[in-house]
Amino acid sequence: MKKYLQIFKISFQEEFVYKLNFVMWRVRNVFQIFLTFFLWSTVFANPQTVIFGYDRSKILTYVFGIMIVRALVMSARAADISSDIAQGDLSNYLLKPMTYFKYWFTRDVSSKALNLVFAAVEFALLFVILQPPFYFQANPVILVLFFVSIILAVLIYFFILILVSSLTFWAPELSWGGHFLITIVIVEALSGALFPINILPITFQYIVMATPFPYLIYFPVQVYLGNITGQAVLGGLMIASAWCGILWLGMNFIWQKGLKAYESTGR
Amino acid sequence: MDKAVIVDRLVKDFEVPQKEPGLSGAIKSLFSPKKKTIHALRGISFTIQSGELVGFIGPNGAGKTTTLKTLSGLLYPSSGFVEVLEHDPWDRAPEYLKQIALVMGQKNQLWWDLPAIETFELNRAIYEIPTKTYNENLKELVDLLEIGKLINTPVRKLSLGQRMRMELTAALLHKPKVLFLDEPTIGLDIIAQQKMRDFIYDYNTRFGATIILTSHNMDDLTNLARRVIVIDEGTLLFDGALEELVDKFAKEKIIKARLANGENLKDLGRIGKVKKLAFPEVIIAVPREATAVAASELLQNFPVEDLTIEEIPIEDIIRKVFRGELTR
Repeated sequence: MKKYLQIFKISFQEEFVYKLNFVMWRVRNVFQIFLTFFLWSTVFANPQTVIFGYDRSKILTYVFGIMIVRALVMSARAADISSDIAQGDLSNYLLKPMTYFKYWFTRDVSSKALNLVFAAVEFALLFVILQPPFYFQANPVILVLFFVSIILAVLIYFFILILVSSLTFWAPELSWGGHFLITIVIVEALSGALFPINILPITFQYIVMATPFPYLIYFPVQVYLGNITGQAVLGGLMIASAWCGILWLGMNFIWQKGLKAYESTGR
Repeated sequence: MDKAVIVDRLVKDFEVPQKEPGLSGAIKSLFSPKKKTIHALRGISFTIQSGELVGFIGPNGAGKTTTLKTLSGLLYPSSGFVEVLEHDPWDRAPEYLKQIALVMGQKNQLWWDLPAIETFELNRAIYEIPTKTYNENLKELVDLLEIGKLINTPVRKLSLGQRMRMELTAALLHKPKVLFLDEPTIGLDIIAQQKMRDFIYDYNTRFGATIILTSHNMDDLTNLARRVIVIDEGTLLFDGALEELVDKFAKEKIIKARLANGENLKDLGRIGKVKKLAFPEVIIAVPREATAVAASELLQNFPVEDLTIEEIPIEDIIRKVFRGELTR
């Protein structure tokens, strides 16, 4: 365990090396929040406007909820794994008495922790400035369920990233394309990051809800908002856990096969 | 002594995609990818006793690095048997990994943006080195490699030679019993090369560590390796003491003579291959088995003042190895 604590520390340090970079990243985040706020405030300028069952307060909460959940779930460094494989840097890790997945998971957690700390401060400041009609969830049961759904989302995303990265073992030239397709197109669209899943036709909703993707963002946010309750929450959590297990098994299977094909190139 | 490394009929094949040059080639390979199987190792066998220092030599692409990578558990053997320190390297058991190190001259494990000391600290945690041992090892390595002033400088600001010494430190903090070195002196200046060699020698003798090194640097081999293994095209051509390499592969001997006068110099060609003629010195290469005949012929027909018979320099043989000119 100690070794992973050390990895956490060194990852944290590395983030601060390029200070200007860091500041610009945070500035970008703040701008993004501003833009999103004003965009949706304009759309819902008339207080009576309701689109797809979302009014001004709910849509703003949904959009900000997405931002926070996204920062937590999708800020992951593990996307670098495919370049590790393609360029042979993976060798460095394989030579060490540690678990490669745990290494990256630790780095992900450190990246998420950093992101969360700063996002919290920024949100607090902007909240005071913009005073948005934000919906605060007070029910402790729902908050616990929300927390569980976030953990599942983090795991699902991590497993998906590794699965996709494993393609690099066989097709190093496809690694970037694969990432783009899976993580940007499919994940972004089906996770609810671009639009709430429940604006889709009902048949599509059923199909999408059976995939692991909506459990990354859409599901946790809806749980927080109290839009998914009771049985539906437990059902959702079960599906998410099942996907977690399936993806974990798949990831280990593919990874072991990949290692046998690994050529440790670039040296 | 016990065996540190056992390799038996090791085979490793790679699938390599083939691409014709240019953009049209790239598009073609997209639709009908061609693959070629490269036989990197075609069944090599050898054993290494613990505490030995062995040089792996051969031309580029002979399979040296592939062997080292298989021994350190990075590559999965296509067939054959490999055992290091009674472990199957492929299992990458933590107890095994804690006893070995693979150092590559080209790439690094150091965290690029941070001072090297941070990587050292990380390795201390990963290898679970007790703090006291770590401090001792670090001090020893820092002194030996003379890097004390540099460990707090971000790695990206170090020169190649400085970085290589940091790499070595990072790789040796856990005091591996078996050390695989791939081109440890590549890209270093002559003084740094010498330092590296001294260090490797010292590490081998002081800790009784088993070391396998590949190198294209003549001095690395002649100064360090008592035993050499020659590989070419994935097969083992020679395994034995460095000096035996000459007995086995030198088909000629060298006769050096000093002549009293310059008569009949043209006729020297009858004795053997004239390598160098700078009157009064002459150097002639003659077939090994005919050395005695050639020497007496020289003494009879030419005004010889002084004559010595020598082996072909080891460097010439090794050079031939690098060019892939040795055959069984």
